[in-house]
Amino acid sequence: MSSQVESLSDALRQLINSGGIEVPMLPEVANKALILAQNPDSDASEMARLIQSDQSLAGHVMRIANSAAYTPMSNLVSLQQAIARLGMGVISEIALAAAIGAKMFNTPGYEDYVADIWRHALATSLWSKEIARHCRSNVEVAFLAGLLHSVGRPAVLQAILDLAEQQKVSLTKGEIQQLENTYCQQVSQAVVNSWKMPTLVIDAVSEYTDQNSDLPTGEQTAQITAGARFATHMLKPDNLDREILLTLPALTTLNLYQDEVETLLGKTEAVKARLEGLSS
Amino acid sequence: MSSEQFNYDVLVIGSGPAGQKSAIQAAKAGQRVAIIERDSLFGGACVHRGTIPSKTLRENALRVKHMRQNAALADFELGEDTEMHTLINRLDEVLKSHDDYMRKQMDRNDVERIHGRASFVDNHTIKITKVSGDTADVSVKTVIIAAGSYPRNPDNIPIDHEHLFDSDSILSMLYLPSSLTVLGGGVIASEYASIFQALGVKVTMIDRYPTPLGFLDSDMTDTFVHAFENMGGTWMGSQNVEKVYWDGISDVVTECADGTVVRSQKLLCAAGRLANVDGLQLENAGLSLNERGLISVDENLCTDVANIYAAGDVIGPPSLASASMEQGRRAACNALGIEIGTMSQLIPAGIYSIPELSSVGLTEKQAREQYGNVLVGTAQFAEVARGQISGNTEGLLKIVADAEGKKILGVMLVGEGSTEVVHIGHMAMLSNADVDIFVESTFNFPTLAEAYRIAGLEILAQRPGK
Repeated sequence: MSSQVESLSDALRQLINSGGIEVPMLPEVANKALILAQNPDSDASEMARLIQSDQSLAGHVMRIANSAAYTPMSNLVSLQQAIARLGMGVISEIALAAAIGAKMFNTPGYEDYVADIWRHALATSLWSKEIARHCRSNVEVAFLAGLLHSVGRPAVLQAILDLAEQQKVSLTKGEIQQLENTYCQQVSQAVVNSWKMPTLVIDAVSEYTDQNSDLPTGEQTAQITAGARFATHMLKPDNLDREILLTLPALTTLNLYQDEVETLLGKTEAVKARLEGLSS
Repeated sequence: MSSEQFNYDVLVIGSGPAGQKSAIQAAKAGQRVAIIERDSLFGGACVHRGTIPSKTLRENALRVKHMRQNAALADFELGEDTEMHTLINRLDEVLKSHDDYMRKQMDRNDVERIHGRASFVDNHTIKITKVSGDTADVSVKTVIIAAGSYPRNPDNIPIDHEHLFDSDSILSMLYLPSSLTVLGGGVIASEYASIFQALGVKVTMIDRYPTPLGFLDSDMTDTFVHAFENMGGTWMGSQNVEKVYWDGISDVVTECADGTVVRSQKLLCAAGRLANVDGLQLENAGLSLNERGLISVDENLCTDVANIYAAGDVIGPPSLASASMEQGRRAACNALGIEIGTMSQLIPAGIYSIPELSSVGLTEKQAREQYGNVLVGTAQFAEVARGQISGNTEGLLKIVADAEGKKILGVMLVGEGSTEVVHIGHMAMLSNADVDIFVESTFNFPTLAEAYRIAGLEILAQRPGK
């Protein structure tokens, strides 16, 4: 690491430790969708009103509602129809996925990279949900924790780019990646805390690491760890082949036997279709 | 094959209450013992998905109920966003301490713990499959099957563990729902229905039988239903459920045959449990399941194959942790030729609903069927000072005696403390004491135990010739 990069790394560490890193605000629509989904007294009409208040979100929901993954063989024409068909849970997931996206971050030159991170996070959330369902564990926690497990990555990338500009340092892609890897987990933790996510989500995201060899101890962390690897295997099989996937320590924590992993992998096409729907 | 040629003298499949006790008993008899568990933690469903988690939730439900009852002392409302995690906050500690205790006990007795799945190759050979996929065959002299049970999910109930749960997944809900439909009227259904109702969830219990817990006398179940409805719950008996589905928006819809439709945010299906024998490949050992899907055993808990024993939920009722432990111990003793006394048929049943119910011996209905005329004494908890002091007035103790009013045939209780207090009657019955023991003995004052004296006096007053 060059002295310039070390100096930037020090500044970044200080920024994170002092709580000075710019943690993105949870978009209002996502916040409201979360509150509605968690409130036992809320109903579909409130969710409809919320979505109608955001034109681009309403359009997004209609696109997804009409995608093959959700409503094959039908043509939904109204938002009410879409909500009735998809249900509160799915709608809140769509609202979250749409609102917490790549657009939240200002990372010039890295838009495609951040979009990839986001797509992987969405795939992780869907896989984590399926794994949680199989383990008789909470699917909402798994979805949220999967969605947010790497939220610190674009946030820290934005901070690196800002600092590099301030300090007039030119970084290579490798150096940026190294810094991002070092600090992303800490920042993910800061984001979910700042967004006041449920305790189990905060715990799972806080314990998550990208290391394939690490044995997660918490059940939810193991779910998102396995979910993230399933997502990588599905999106970029060259980066994580089936053989390595089957030997992940996270599967041991989850007590998933090989035949159970195979059963889960049998859902790949369904997860792919849902991912296409959510990211369309 | 001589004993030395086997890898183990005794291999126990399953580490629940029956498995633990059989392994320990066999080890104490000097055998080389291994216990195989497919879950990563020891203890079986009882510890991780059943008894202990639901009782931990129950403790907090009772606290909430008491705080609501004592509104003068604390103006209390449970927050709308209360996480389930908060309500079973001590669960991790309880489970960890139980796991530690069991591991130490196994280690102390030199019982080898194996994490993996078991399947029979033949009656003396077990294939062990690890989570990693690695396999190994071990030879065993004696096998004790104590693999437990899992929830039965009827075909017309599409359990998704998101909106429609079974008893293994119900505690995975993130937040308390506003409303819950409970299908079933057995022990698990009654426990969860009353616990969630005490937490403020609007609960509707639906079952095909007219009363819940039909194996108890109607005065007991009436008290339970009354207490449940007083908390705001709804009991719908004699209802056949035709269709259950998630409406895709916000409700689970339950349609009954008479046209009644119940909508709720979540649903719990508690339709009994099935023996956990999938994957054991019993046929390779020469075993088959009976018509109820259970493993048949004789009075010695031996299966149709001489070196294979079974205990606990895999052999069927009473399917109580307490009975399973004793069955496990006895299975090991019988397999090893250790002399034991006859197993008492007096097995108490405890139902950890709110309020609790408990019974030992015959119910009044059973006693009348068997003995014709019987004498019955009852005591309301409201008549007992301790009941009044603690606000525990919604309870009842009943003693059933023979026609002479002497021999105790059964004891039943409903009300908080029932599962503990029942053992006074249990001990009296085991020692063949007459009803008089309750009248002639001195009980602490104030205690719920005094109810025994009141009920006993009522029987004495009815004795022939009085």
